[in-house]
Amino acid sequence: MSRALATRRRRPRGTAGIAEALLWLGPALILILGIVVDPAVALVGTSFGTYSITGLRKGDAGFQNYIAFLTSPDLGKVVWNTTVWVGVVVAMTILLSLGLAQFLSKEFFGRRFVRWAVIVPWAAALVISSQLFRLMYDYYHGIINGLLLWLGVIHKPIDWLGNPALIMPSMITVGIFVSMPFTAYLFVAGLNAIPGDLYEAARIDGARPSQIYRRITLPLLRPAILIGVVLNMIYVFNSFPIIWILNGSNPGFGNDTLITYMYKIAFKSAQHDVGMSAAAGIFNVILILIAVAIYLRFTNWRRRDES
Amino acid sequence: MKKSLRLGAVVAAAALASMALASCGSPSNSSAAGVSSIKVVIAEYSKDHTAKFWKAFATKYEKTSGVKLDLQIINWNDLDQQSSTMVQTGNPPDILNENAYASYAADGLLYSADEVLPAATKADIIPAFVKSGTYQGKFYGMPDLSSARALFYNKDLFAAAGIAKAPTTWDEFTADAKKVNALGGGVVGYAQPLGPEEAQAELAIWLFNNGGDFKKNGKWTLNSPENVKTLEFMKGLSVTDKVTQNNPGSTNRTDGAFPLFEQGKAGMIVGFGPLQSALDTQFTSVNYGIAPMPTGDNAAPQTYGVTDYLMSFKKKGNQDAVKAFYKLYYSPDEVNSWIKAEGFLPVTTSGLASFASDPKLKVYLDTLPNIHLTPTDDPEWDKIGQTIKQNIGLAVAPGGDVKKFLDDLQAQAEAGK
Repeated sequence: MSRALATRRRRPRGTAGIAEALLWLGPALILILGIVVDPAVALVGTSFGTYSITGLRKGDAGFQNYIAFLTSPDLGKVVWNTTVWVGVVVAMTILLSLGLAQFLSKEFFGRRFVRWAVIVPWAAALVISSQLFRLMYDYYHGIINGLLLWLGVIHKPIDWLGNPALIMPSMITVGIFVSMPFTAYLFVAGLNAIPGDLYEAARIDGARPSQIYRRITLPLLRPAILIGVVLNMIYVFNSFPIIWILNGSNPGFGNDTLITYMYKIAFKSAQHDVGMSAAAGIFNVILILIAVAIYLRFTNWRRRDES
Repeated sequence: MKKSLRLGAVVAAAALASMALASCGSPSNSSAAGVSSIKVVIAEYSKDHTAKFWKAFATKYEKTSGVKLDLQIINWNDLDQQSSTMVQTGNPPDILNENAYASYAADGLLYSADEVLPAATKADIIPAFVKSGTYQGKFYGMPDLSSARALFYNKDLFAAAGIAKAPTTWDEFTADAKKVNALGGGVVGYAQPLGPEEAQAELAIWLFNNGGDFKKNGKWTLNSPENVKTLEFMKGLSVTDKVTQNNPGSTNRTDGAFPLFEQGKAGMIVGFGPLQSALDTQFTSVNYGIAPMPTGDNAAPQTYGVTDYLMSFKKKGNQDAVKAFYKLYYSPDEVNSWIKAEGFLPVTTSGLASFASDPKLKVYLDTLPNIHLTPTDDPEWDKIGQTIKQNIGLAVAPGGDVKKFLDDLQAQAEAGK
């Protein structure tokens, strides 16, 4: 009796009027309007304005900011840097995290400690991690050069953050280091979700470990890997502090990605132009959306639903 | 019925909340008589002294003027971005402390001295600074403090290398740097910061001491023959003479070059007051001397100086409050005690007199009235300075092209006209 009443009373709520829906959605909608939609609208507006170096709007620019950005001489190099940065960091993060996740999902003495230790680089603010790496990489005082010199591996310090050939690999190492914890934990959760009897059945049928990994583990981890790649692509693309801090004392735009380039256009360059920087921001959003869409199309991510 | 009532309540609550927010956001500056508060944005010169001085200043200001002083202290690295955002969103401060003012004056955003600076105060400011703060005949950029650069040298390293006195010519400078560099043990002859932080200062001091300048007689002279020669000389120090630290084009001043000198690992460096106070208080083991810059053209040494500005934005009803601000700031007790605490140099004639008793400042004070500044009175300089900071490191790298860098700068400056 009471249960019947309850369901009858619940039903109209399932199809609540728009007023009631607004009541519940209201706070979230206000937040979205305030911190997503409003800045986005402002960004679009800014990208069509002409701005003085002081930030004062002088008038409408039409598409001039977009043209200036798309024809800037450094753009090609910056896009290439961004591709290398995102591509290598995401690929290496996924590969290394697959191994790390296998390790973390095994029972061993001290596992709890290791699991906590792995979280640390994720929990630390990116600015702090980047600053620490900057100190470690330092030419004169850095611990990395100190160690290598002490071991006799090198006889002269290595300019990790100043040598154009080394700066990108140095930054990529940090990018991988800070992306791995999240990705590894995503994969640990994925591994735990794979039923143990599948492995048991495979072993009884005489499958070799490599076969088990390729035929059972990887396919069943596929959703986790897809999510890991997409989220990492977005995080790594948008990552500002690592590049800003590690590349902080280098001149020019030769080691910038689109995100730091956008900031430099606005505040640290000859252009010093927030309008052009806003156009760059719009370009960045579109670019990452396209990249993610291509990836999802390529990996055919709905395959399981359709089959 | 019940539902619509509830909705009504929500709407009412939301409306109330937004009204409350709105009333927080805009201080009641609509009254014609004058504002009840002013927003003052100050650059953080040091963690120890800036906030301490300005908080005490705010209290005094509020007591004397009856206007609330809303103080914001911002790190130098973020200042440019934050002030530009304030202007962009139509919410500029009443007073802004920056290293440039001419672009703001050109945009018509500022009060000139005629409107907000008491005549006696203006008369007290050192003429060189009035000149650099004047844009198109009006004085907009009120100097808050100044600094002058000089050559710092490590006396112990000089003695070890058998050098008797500080160099006075560029030939002597190079020879001395080579001798110090030859000491080994990670010691470099000269610490040369040409990274994007403050490279225009390093360039300026060498240019001025070889008969060069950024602008002469109202015309840009960025790629003049003497400037090309000077920058070639600066590049040669690292590329051919190899007397500098590793990769000067990627070395910033505060986190790269200064630490080397502070640890006794650099024979010479261009320094200023704050480096001197760091050496006197934290790095006391460094036995250093200060000398005028060596010159490349055998003329008298030039002192490169820097001043920052306190500019005031035209906003409805804030003129009297701004005037009261300047009046209090330039009273000798305020301006001089702050400048002393931060280790900088005075901007007023009365300040010169009150600093004269300090023997450590004598080397700078004597040069202050004839100090050589960058062309901050030209709005175009604000962008030229940015370009120098960002790109000079590429020009002085082993494969860099000094001439092309200066030609491009000249082209940029002329196109801006």
